Amino acid sequence: MNFEERLLMELKTEMSERMARGPVRRPMRRRLLTGVAVAGLAAAALVAVPMVMGTESSAYALTENPDGSITLKINEFRNSDQVERDLADLGLKADVSYVRPGKRCAPGRFTTIDEPSFTPEELRSKDPGVRKRVLEAMEGTPSRQAYDTVPGGGLKIYPEKIKPNWTVVMEFTENDDQTSGPERPRALWQFLFQVTDGPVKPCVVIDDPSWDVIGPEGLPPAGS
Amino acid sequence: MRLKHTGSVEISTDPEAFEAFYRRHVEAVTRFMARRVDDPHTVADLVAEVFVAVLDSAHTYRSGLGSEIGWLYGVARNTLSAERRRTASELRLTSRISGRRLLDADDLLRLEERLDAESPVRRAFEAMAGLPESERAVLELVVVDQLSIPEAATALGIRQGTARVRLYRARRALRHAPGVTSPTVMEGLR
Repeated sequence: MNFEERLLMELKTEMSERMARGPVRRPMRRRLLTGVAVAGLAAAALVAVPMVMGTESSAYALTENPDGSITLKINEFRNSDQVERDLADLGLKADVSYVRPGKRCAPGRFTTIDEPSFTPEELRSKDPGVRKRVLEAMEGTPSRQAYDTVPGGGLKIYPEKIKPNWTVVMEFTENDDQTSGPERPRALWQFLFQVTDGPVKPCVVIDDPSWDVIGPEGLPPAGS
Repeated sequence: MRLKHTGSVEISTDPEAFEAFYRRHVEAVTRFMARRVDDPHTVADLVAEVFVAVLDSAHTYRSGLGSEIGWLYGVARNTLSAERRRTASELRLTSRISGRRLLDADDLLRLEERLDAESPVRRAFEAMAGLPESERAVLELVVVDQLSIPEAATALGIRQGTARVRLYRARRALRHAPGVTSPTVMEGLR
């Protein structure tokens, strides 16, 4: 037995002792409430409650943040039309589709304004250099500038990055099975978020063969 | 672009999940420390500390915020800076698991070889010493530890755009510093 194995044993012992002691204190939590974070959280908490839209069901929550961004938190994948209407009330033209796991909307129903285009070879490349370049270019697109993901499943949308004549196209897919682990990693949900300055045709649902493919870092092969 | 989110894993409560996590990363954590510390006993202590810290803070891991390795390197960085604030004797007192106690002669030899292998990198760190801490941190993780920019951003708890800007500045600052720039640091620079 070597160092690594002995250390693993010690750690497992530590783990079982902890579990026997019951729930642990979580000292890291305090760090959330220091410095700038306090100001940000307090402001958000004050504004968040009255700003939640009245018409929504509990399927999702739409929150206007003090910095002008909008948080869209989806609890249940239904009533996408209402999400569109509520976003319209906030001044955002959106096309929202929920599709079943293993499905996606057929491509070509709108033309994104995102500039960088890559060949399929580049998008599938395993070469770290190419991957990095593709990823960086994707990060800089107008679509990517307009949102962030929110831990726990949700999106933060930045309306100031979206011009008035643009439409935000969102496609969401949620897995029925919400368990995932190192033994059997799987996608819990995936989404597409792109902006377009043209018309958007209705979603025609087709099979998504990439659904079961999980790449490094929890990302599917680029371009899927 | 489509993103997939894999679920956060209860590595602090499920022994099997923890073991899988440990085996995936113990090598990387050891190398991380060997690039920054030149004493095998301290490396062993720090590796043990990192995984104890993983048990402490597993609940802070959110897969949506970035990759596992990015998060783990964040934990490793915090562990190392905590160690640097303490004296060696304090570390051994506060540590719940003493890594160095678990080393035998073979392990020691193995660790020393690893430390030798990483010595050019430790010299590269000296070249970076003059950079502002915020920029140096990104350069370290991307160039020395070979993290992607999103992973480095996760490790440091900053936005990807910020990480990219800092990386650019750090590289630019080092570009015209003759004698200090090691090839490792300048890798990927035109």
